[in-house]
Amino acid sequence: MLLAQILTNGLLLGGLYGLMALGMALIWGVLNIVNLAHGALIMLGGYAVYFMFTAAGIDPFAALPVAMLVMFAFGYALQRFLLNLIVRSAPLNTLLITFGLDVVLTYLAQLAFSADFRAINPSYAGANVTVLGITIPLARLAAFAVALVLAAALWLLLERTRLGRAIRATAQNLVAARLYGVDPRQLYAVTFGIGAALAGAAGGLYGVVSQLTPYVGTNLTVKSFVIAIMGGLENPFGILAGGLVIGVAEALAALYLGPTFTDAISFGLLVVILVARPVRSLKGA
Amino acid sequence: MRWAALALIAALLAILPWVGDDVMIQYGINALLVATLAQAWNIIGGFTGYASFGNSVFYGLGTYGTAIAMVQFGLPFGVGLALGGALGMLCALLLGLPILRLRGHYFAIATLGLSATMAAIVANLDIAGRNIGLILPLTRNDAMFYEASLALLAATTLTVIWLALSRFGMGLIAIREDEDAAAVMGVNTTFYKVVALVLSSFFTAVAGGIHAYWITFIDPASAFDLTLNVRMVIMAVFGGPGTVFGPLIGSFILSSVYDWLASSISTAAALLFGLVIVIAVVFMPRGLIDLGAGLRRVGWRYLLQNIRLHRI
Repeated sequence: MLLAQILTNGLLLGGLYGLMALGMALIWGVLNIVNLAHGALIMLGGYAVYFMFTAAGIDPFAALPVAMLVMFAFGYALQRFLLNLIVRSAPLNTLLITFGLDVVLTYLAQLAFSADFRAINPSYAGANVTVLGITIPLARLAAFAVALVLAAALWLLLERTRLGRAIRATAQNLVAARLYGVDPRQLYAVTFGIGAALAGAAGGLYGVVSQLTPYVGTNLTVKSFVIAIMGGLENPFGILAGGLVIGVAEALAALYLGPTFTDAISFGLLVVILVARPVRSLKGA
Repeated sequence: MRWAALALIAALLAILPWVGDDVMIQYGINALLVATLAQAWNIIGGFTGYASFGNSVFYGLGTYGTAIAMVQFGLPFGVGLALGGALGMLCALLLGLPILRLRGHYFAIATLGLSATMAAIVANLDIAGRNIGLILPLTRNDAMFYEASLALLAATTLTVIWLALSRFGMGLIAIREDEDAAAVMGVNTTFYKVVALVLSSFFTAVAGGIHAYWITFIDPASAFDLTLNVRMVIMAVFGGPGTVFGPLIGSFILSSVYDWLASSISTAAALLFGLVIVIAVVFMPRGLIDLGAGLRRVGWRYLLQNIRLHRI
């Protein structure tokens, strides 16, 4: 029974991990930018929901779309007016500039919001349902459901809309997409905005199931990265599955090896997967 | 002439412990060690083009190798340092063979994973003091630490000068520019890359050992600190990766700026540090050394030229 409970916890958390990684994978796959500030975007989204909840009393799940809009605008501007300037620079430079952004955003958040732990605690935060002896926290279940819905929405956007087709075309071949009338500046900014909006949603949910500080970002960036690689950058559901694998692996590691090993497990897995992956898929890295 | 200038600078730096005060010497030790780390990273990241985020692993292993030798086995500092360096090189050799097959972002991230994994492993070893860490014997001899750091930086820089002048270094640059082409030209890429990583790991690990004995206390979180690795990369890239003096200039300027900011406006120091990085990447993506050459060539237009070249 303990095992079933642990697996359930891992799966529920894994869905949220998958949502975190969606935005990173989208930006990486289309813009070829490994966004080290992704965790900071998640953190900002979390604070947006936190303040809407505490200051205006808006339910965190109702506040999510607003936070996503805000983060979309922020991400759009960031790409349009800053990252577009260096997007064709050496890969190391995109890593560096997003690292610099991560530092800037983290410390701005620290100045603005202080370093206190904050949790988004709606009245139903402690509510549970028990199914077959397994306790399921309702808030986590809802977060998991939102992650699923957003992954499905992203899939629909990419596969079924004109914008999605333009995004996929740009990811495949920038020059050809340009010839067909795609404005890459605009498209890059919109794609980054969508990635930031997904990060914002993940941040709001993270604030509900865990605690926010200005410093949560780095850890979440690395986690998103691992999942994005495992999921393979292309299919939103693959990335969600990657999140579930990491969530379950971490939960099992915490149970059998001790909690200090949770991070080591995801990274150890990452190294093994990277080295064992067929070389074919490393093209264009 | 150039060599004479270099020797003069080294000699000037070497007499600092006799003329400077304690604060200056301590700042010097820190600056020299960080410069060593940036220069060592330059071997694998700048010359070979493999952005290693695993150098903090070598640093941590050097730290722990030295500390375990001194604390658990009572060995002298010199022996501990040698063991720490050897441990770093062994790790680079064993991990380099599989991981150096990865390219680009994938290599960067695989090495990123290593440092987190290694920290967790060390935190569960009894001989390494588990989560609590180790306390080394106390020595109050900052002049010795200063000279040791300076000697290490000199050795690292001489190695990089050798790379810049030798056939081996040319091979590394060829790998950076186009690995497949280098292989076709007869460069044994695996051998070259592994040697570059092992060289880089040795200097990094020894710097870790010196720092451990100087600071006298180590724990997994500080020994395998990923932000230290990021600092190495930033300093090398800020100065000019793949050049001999870029990483030195970059690290001295950035550590001075950072220390100055931290002492005058503590909270905003990291913020401004981040801003400097962002602005530097936009306006001088190839580092200070290239900025110098560019300014001589086309003047201030160089800054805008970079944007025009790299924007979409």
